[in-house]
Amino acid sequence: MTEARVTENPVPPTGTSAELLLDGVSRSYGDNLAVRSISAEVPASKISVIVGPSGCGKSTLLRIISGLDEPTAGRVEFEGVPVKGVPEGLAMVFQDYSRSLYPWMRVDKNVAFPIKHLPAKERAERVRFAIDEVGLSGKEKLYPWQMSGGMQQRVAIARALASHPKLLLMDEPYASVDAQTRADLEDLLMRIQAELGITVLVVTHDIDESVYLADRIIVLSAPPSVVAEVIDVDLPRPRDHIATKTDPRFVEIRGHVTRLLRSKEQATSA
Amino acid sequence: MKLLHEPLSGQRQVVLGVVGVVGTAAVWEGVIRSGLLDVPGLPLPSGVVRGVGDLLPDSTFWDAVVFTLGEWMLGLAIAAVVGVLVGGLMGAFRSAFLVFEWPVEAFRVLPSVAVGPILVLVIGQGRLPLSLTVALACVWPVLLNTMYGVRSTDTTAVMTAKTFGYGGLAVLRSIKIPSALPFAYTGVRIAASIGLLVAVSAELLIGNGSGIGGYILSNTANATNLDLVYAATLVAGVLGVTVNLVMAKLDDVLFGWKKGLAQ
Repeated sequence: MTEARVTENPVPPTGTSAELLLDGVSRSYGDNLAVRSISAEVPASKISVIVGPSGCGKSTLLRIISGLDEPTAGRVEFEGVPVKGVPEGLAMVFQDYSRSLYPWMRVDKNVAFPIKHLPAKERAERVRFAIDEVGLSGKEKLYPWQMSGGMQQRVAIARALASHPKLLLMDEPYASVDAQTRADLEDLLMRIQAELGITVLVVTHDIDESVYLADRIIVLSAPPSVVAEVIDVDLPRPRDHIATKTDPRFVEIRGHVTRLLRSKEQATSA
Repeated sequence: MKLLHEPLSGQRQVVLGVVGVVGTAAVWEGVIRSGLLDVPGLPLPSGVVRGVGDLLPDSTFWDAVVFTLGEWMLGLAIAAVVGVLVGGLMGAFRSAFLVFEWPVEAFRVLPSVAVGPILVLVIGQGRLPLSLTVALACVWPVLLNTMYGVRSTDTTAVMTAKTFGYGGLAVLRSIKIPSALPFAYTGVRIAASIGLLVAVSAELLIGNGSGIGGYILSNTANATNLDLVYAATLVAGVLGVTVNLVMAKLDDVLFGWKKGLAQ
């Protein structure tokens, strides 16, 4: 079996500086174990990336973190408080923007959706700021389906920003857009994160993307998933698609993550 | 000739449509005039058109049309309100679904026109039993469409709202109902055509001489007026087509955003 090759707790949880703490989180559906004893810390005001092979339970994990689902064992803490239901200050960006955005609402209404309870003036200010932040000023009155995929995902990001999140969760956010748009949106995310100091947790299956974005990479194994390794990425910021990706350190980390994922795959198929 | 999915100019579409109507009428006219088909009572298209000409100045006919339209709209309105309410509840709440499931299944198979005479016995003659008969036929497409519309709300759309702190009822109001409205409207559209058919049929049966049905009935008594009968039937048909066109246009205006779902 693979038991011996897997590190159960690569980072012992300290429960202090972490914005988000996963402690032995497991989730099974009937007899089917989707994630197994995941422990990791997501540091505040940084970009963390969960990377793993497809079907490794990344989305299950995100649903648990966002309080939409409950773990069958273990616990999740957000700012030191156990997660029960969707915590305040959390926003999520889904892969499928065309289903996540509301087609009957124009861009500005979509962005205002999380803050409907606020007074009109503050709401309008936040919507303007968020739309400006993702570079969509002037597109407020379009319907999402009148825009390109990349622009729609910008709307989804703006909507998340309008809610003033402390923790931004992103589930394969750029898996449905073309390579150039993807590169632009990665840079957009890093710029916004640096400006606003939000804690970001991205889930992806793309190794390049994980190394490029992350301050910390949490590598998951194939299902039933455990944390294979936690890697702190010390590449300098601001990062750049050419300079960073040709940095020997980038190449080294990418190779390391690739080997980790590959060895896990082999371990489970053996 | 262009394949079905290839674009065709608006002008050519109109021309082809007219060719279809006029052509059918011409063939029909020819078949009867040539003696190929010799059945007494079959109308000549030219005679029917003349009949429409005779109808136009006839105020009793127009009273009948107005009566039928009013009856139909009242029935459709009742069906829309009841259908959207009950269908919405059944789509949103499991308990409501379980309560209404069997009554709906049972009443749905009742031929509404057959219920008409019973309604007359209970509430007497007039427009109301006619409208209720219409409503009884119209309520099902609205109800079922609304129910499936609410149920088929996109799970990602719902999850998104939940992550922004929307509770069950808020999700229902802000997400499920808006995304079910086009379905409900499609139900109303289907119901509108059914309703007009049922309205005229009910008038034939329990109309006591009122409406287009009543007009047709009283004129069939006199065999020389058959062209008038066919003309009235034709007018009822044109009315139905017009209603359908108007409602399709309204669909585009109200739910143009549905285009976003097709992609």
